[in-house]
Order: sequence, then C-alpha cells, then structure tokens
Amino acid sequence: MSDRIQRSGAGRGGSGAVGALVARDLRGDLMSAVLQIRDLTLGYRDLTLFHRLSMDIAAGTTLAVLGANGSGKSTFVKMLLGLMDPLSGSLTWPQGRPGDIGYLAQMTEFDRRFPIRVRDLAAMGAWRGFGYRTGLDAAARDRMAAALDEAGVLDIADRPLHMLSGGQLQRALFARVIMQDAPLILLDEPFAAVDQSTEAHLLSIIRRWRDEGRAVVLVVHDLSSVLDCCSHALLLGGQEATHGPVNDVLTPDRLVAQGYLSESQASWMFRGTHSTAEHANV
Amino acid sequence: MYDLIVEMWSFAFMRRAFVATTVLSASVAPVGAFLVLRRLSLAGEAMAHAITPGIVIGFVTAGLSVMSLLVGGLIAGVGVAILTAFLARRTILRSDASLASLYLIALAVGIFILSAAGSAVPLKSFLFGSILGIDDASMVLVGGVATVTLLAFGVLLRPLIVSTCDPVFFETQTRRPWLVDQGFMLLLVLNLLAAFKTLGTLMAVGLMILPATAARYWASTITGQLVLGFLFALSSCWIGLTLSYLFPDTPSGPAIVLVAGGFFLFSAIFGPLGFGRRMRKPSVSKGIHIAQIQQEERAQ
Repeated sequence: MSDRIQRSGAGRGGSGAVGALVARDLRGDLMSAVLQIRDLTLGYRDLTLFHRLSMDIAAGTTLAVLGANGSGKSTFVKMLLGLMDPLSGSLTWPQGRPGDIGYLAQMTEFDRRFPIRVRDLAAMGAWRGFGYRTGLDAAARDRMAAALDEAGVLDIADRPLHMLSGGQLQRALFARVIMQDAPLILLDEPFAAVDQSTEAHLLSIIRRWRDEGRAVVLVVHDLSSVLDCCSHALLLGGQEATHGPVNDVLTPDRLVAQGYLSESQASWMFRGTHSTAEHANV
Repeated sequence: MYDLIVEMWSFAFMRRAFVATTVLSASVAPVGAFLVLRRLSLAGEAMAHAITPGIVIGFVTAGLSVMSLLVGGLIAGVGVAILTAFLARRTILRSDASLASLYLIALAVGIFILSAAGSAVPLKSFLFGSILGIDDASMVLVGGVATVTLLAFGVLLRPLIVSTCDPVFFETQTRRPWLVDQGFMLLLVLNLLAAFKTLGTLMAVGLMILPATAARYWASTITGQLVLGFLFALSSCWIGLTLSYLFPDTPSGPAIVLVAGGFFLFSAIFGPLGFGRRMRKPSVSKGIHIAQIQQEERAQ
C-alpha cells in the first residue's frame, strides 16, 4: 500500500504519525490548502461516525466523499459548512474562512413548488453581495447570463421551477453555485437524480472549477463519476475515514473493509485487475 | 345597490370597518403568502388558538382594551413560538407536533379562564369578531401593525424568499437563520392580534390563508403571489363586510372568510395551476419520479 494513503480509525496511530503522512501527500505539497482538518472526530452524542481524521483540502483538487448510507458523508459536508460542530479536532482555514462556501444540498431537500423562476434561483447565489435592497448590477447580470448559459438553462431562464424536470432543476442549482463564485464548493450527491447526459455536462463544470483552482468536495454514490473527475477520495465507513489519491483509496480491499461494497460486488467490479489504477482517469 | 352603499357609508362604524379591513388586508396578505409558501398554513391556525389565553387573561384582568390585547397576545404568542422552537430542537418532536401540543394546552387554558370569568364575556364576538367593536384604539392597533409589518417585509423579503425556497442553502448563507424564522413568527402574532377585533380568534387566519392559497393557483412569481393575495384579501373584506351589514345578526369574521373561501374555490377550479391545467409537464425523466417519491416520503 502506498504511503500516500492515510487512514484514520478507532485506535489507529497518533497525531504525529498522521501529520507525517499528510506532509507526504504529493499534491498537498504543490497546492495551497484551503482547509486543514486535524484529528477530527465526527458524530452525534451517542453515535461516532469516524475517529481522528487529518487531511488537507487543497485548491485545485476534487475530493470525492464515499461511503455506505449512514457513514457520515452528509454530516461531514454539514460540518464543513459550519452547521454542526465536530466532537473533537480542529478546522483551520490557512487563507481565512471564505465569505461564501458554494453548496448544493441533496435535491430531495428542495421545495420544487416554490413560485420563482430559474433566473431568480440562480441570482440567489449572489444574494450575499447585494444584501436586502439593491438589485443586481450590470456586471452581475452579465455573470448570471454566463452562469445560466454554462449550466445549460439560459433558454429556460424564465420558466417557473415547478415546470422543470429533475435534470433541469439540478442544472439551475448548478447555475446558483456558479453565481456563488466560491473558493470551496461542496456538492451533496449532485448526480443522484439526473440522467447520463446531464451528469456529463455537470462533470465538465466541476472540471472547470478544479482548473480554476477551486477546491471541490463531492458526495457521490457512483464510482464511475468519481473516476471521471476526482483527484482525491475520502472513504467513510466502519467508524473509519480513509483519505488519499483516488487510486490508493478505492481499492477492492478498502471498499470491502469499510462496508462500501460486498465481497462479490468488489470481485465483479474489479475483475481482471489488481487495483483501480487502470480505471483511473484523473 | 347604490342606496345600499350610501346607507352603509352613513354609519361611522361601517366606514371604520372598511378602512380597518383595507389596512388589515395590506398587512396580512404578505404574512399569509409566506405562511402558505413555508408550509405553515396550519401552524398559523394553531398560533391563532395559542394566543387565546393571553388575550383572555388580558381581558379578564384589564378589560377589553387594545393594550391588554396586545400585551397578553404577544406574551402568549411569542412564548409559544419560542417554546415550540425549543422543543423541536432539543427533543424528538418535530415543530408541528410541538406546536400542536402547546396550542391545545393554551386553548384549553384560555377557554377555561373565559368560562370561569362568567357571562360578562362576549364569547361570540371574541371567537368570530364584530364590526361594531372597532374603536379608535383598534384602528391605531391595525394601522400600527400594518406599518410595522410592511416595513419589516421591506427588510425581510429577500431573506424570507431565500429561506423559504431553500432553507438548507439559507442556513449556509447566514450566521443567524433563526432570526428570520422568529421575526416572521412575531409578525404573524402581531397580525393575528390586529385581525382579532374584526375577525375574531377563530377566523383571523382565514383572511391570511385563503387569499394566499387562492393566489397560489394563479401566480408563478413571488410578486404575483403578493399582489394577487392582497387583491383577494381586500375584495373578501369589502364584500364580506357588505354581507355582514345586509344580514345584521351575522358576525363579520365568517362573512369575510366565506367570501375568501369563494375566491379560493373559484381559483382552484379555473386557475392555471389548479384543476384548470396540469401542473407538471408530462415528459419527465425517470429520476424526477424518484426525487418526488423521496420528497413525499420525507414530508410524511
């Protein structure tokens, strides 16, 4: 197993050893960290999700967060947003906490019947910049047109939300994230209810974010979308958190050990290979 | 018809009632719109019951003055709103169940005290309102509440839209999301108190909810929803008051709400988002069905 991989789990290594492993993360050395997570234990009062995770989230990287249901993926995202506190450990923002963190919640949490149009939904992303009273200025309008265009919803910008399909709504929500223009972007299951062509389109937007030097964190279920766009992975499950480059983390052994795949699923998915390296397209 | 209007306007109490309900419509319409959009329609009704003991205690101890109404109602309403939020956050009960429990207790307390206080209490006008009851102080109350409400909406409108449309997103955008929730609840209580004299505690929510739900059948934008809701509320009040004048024994509250109910039924049948047209486009991907089912399951 490569030394670039870093595992945190119940009863595993001290913080010194973990720190050394983080320092050897190759990309971490090259890219500046947006967020440094140290000795993080996450959970609720009577349920610990994982122990002592230390990792950096670097600018220009895409991190996939994977795990079985209930392993803490969404909780991890909520913690990054500051909506809940970790049980222990620290978060430090070397470049200061961003004023705005791009965020896309699971689509099931969204009220589709709310009476606004696609362009108003996208404008919400720039809401903080305009406060309570003022409208969008010319520059923001241009930015919004570009965002709607990139997300592929410019032609339906005046349509109310209840007339959109699931894929169109997700594109509109992506336009809002584009409008947020944030250095750190968190996406919670962005592909859960969209078709293949929409997924491909949204993946291209995520790649652009990465190339612009933003840090993107995605909660995903489907391994193929991970391999398409993610440089790093964080695998949660069995009260453990494993972090590292995608090829090192998403091995059959790891995926089975942390309850993400069953033995038979893993042997079918990885048939004829010994590691995920040959699938990787990072 | 013309004679009727002239005769009606010759009475000062009718002129007062028309002015008061016109101002009231402008005030309750935006509150009602957001009650409906925030899925708090029933919570509004519950809150109307919850302020009853406050009004009753104020009435029994200090008489039926505007100050006793305002102070008693505010204490009861804000108390129940804060307790509800507290229960929902610290215990397993969701906010609807917490509110239901608390308002039932409050309502029982209110009726108990009202009955114990004896027959001096005008129970019918208490529950259903009376156009005769609108004195100068009540006019000031309605005007004051309307001013506060409209000013507050000037500041709160955008945060309210964001937090109603996507509460999870809104939580990430501000450090104090509860400020909007609780501020809105305060506006709700104030408007219920303002509507109390004309409509009574049981009917007060009717003027908020029914014009707003009727407007939902026509409006695809927030602006449309707010403007149309106001027009429906205003028409309900004017027509309802006239009805109440024509049939002198009928209380004004039910008359107004009945007209609003008529607008609602008409809109449900003929509105573009009602039965008149199918709400969703027929061609949707498989994914949307899954999302819808999950959403409905979550809502249960």
